[in-house]
Amino acid sequence: MRRGKPLAVALVALAVAGFTIADDDEHRYKRPKRLAVPADAPQIWKDECASCHMLYSPGLLPAEAWRRQMDTLNDHYGSNASLEPEEEREIRAFLLRASARNHLPVEPAKTAGEPPRISQTRWFEHKHDEVSAAKFRRESVGGRANCVACHRDAERGDFDEDRVKIPR
Amino acid sequence: MKAYWVALACCLSLPAFAETEHPLLPGYAEQARQDNPAFTGFSAERGKALYFAEQKRDGKTMSCTTCHTADPRQIGKTPAYRKVEPLAPVANPKRFSNPKKVEKWFRRNCDDVFTRECSAQEKGDFITWINSLK
Repeated sequence: MRRGKPLAVALVALAVAGFTIADDDEHRYKRPKRLAVPADAPQIWKDECASCHMLYSPGLLPAEAWRRQMDTLNDHYGSNASLEPEEEREIRAFLLRASARNHLPVEPAKTAGEPPRISQTRWFEHKHDEVSAAKFRRESVGGRANCVACHRDAERGDFDEDRVKIPR
Repeated sequence: MKAYWVALACCLSLPAFAETEHPLLPGYAEQARQDNPAFTGFSAERGKALYFAEQKRDGKTMSCTTCHTADPRQIGKTPAYRKVEPLAPVANPKRFSNPKKVEKWFRRNCDDVFTRECSAQEKGDFITWINSLK
């Protein structure tokens, strides 16, 4: 009986370790679930963010990632996307509020100095692992950042897998 | 009698001026004069040259045409595959009507293409050219 105790402790420890690994693994592929664009989204956010690229639902990134985006608008992935201070404040406030339900860790971009990229999160990679690089390169698709090419309602935050259509 | 003819000529020519000169140009002209006392006016030709001027950025050739196409009366596309409405007022009358918007996009796009600000002279030249397109 006395010998059984360390064994039990070891087993419990193993089980805990196992859980931790499993949990970590699961965490890795947890994806954001609150993606619908809030009905009260300000027009300024739509106008400003969607003039150069598709409108990304705030729920796609955690608040801290959006903060880093808003802190670096002077060099937004190579483009100057600077805003007037008032516009900047309103858009920042909306993004932080609307992404509050995303509790995923911030994943830095692969290129040093760039703010986080939605297309470089682990869940994004995992969800698109069956889509070849060649498909992403298609002119009709327009790269990994252009969700709307295949998810037609992406700008409303609808990424339903059943409606995905990869254009030729 | 001579004064009468001069006055009449002025009255006749004023509306013609108002019709051809873009409303944003006087402001840019004043700024250009402040930047350079030898300022002599805007040139559509220089504005056109700015539109087509090519720069190397990260190994890629860039110009205004990269997004706005070689014909600014056409619909363009951003590097992120967003549609860009025509830039020329003849095709899109809303263009160059809001001074704040005009300044915002000069600020961003001059930095994107030339990695610097554009001068009042360049902005005036550009508006003179783009507004002259038929």
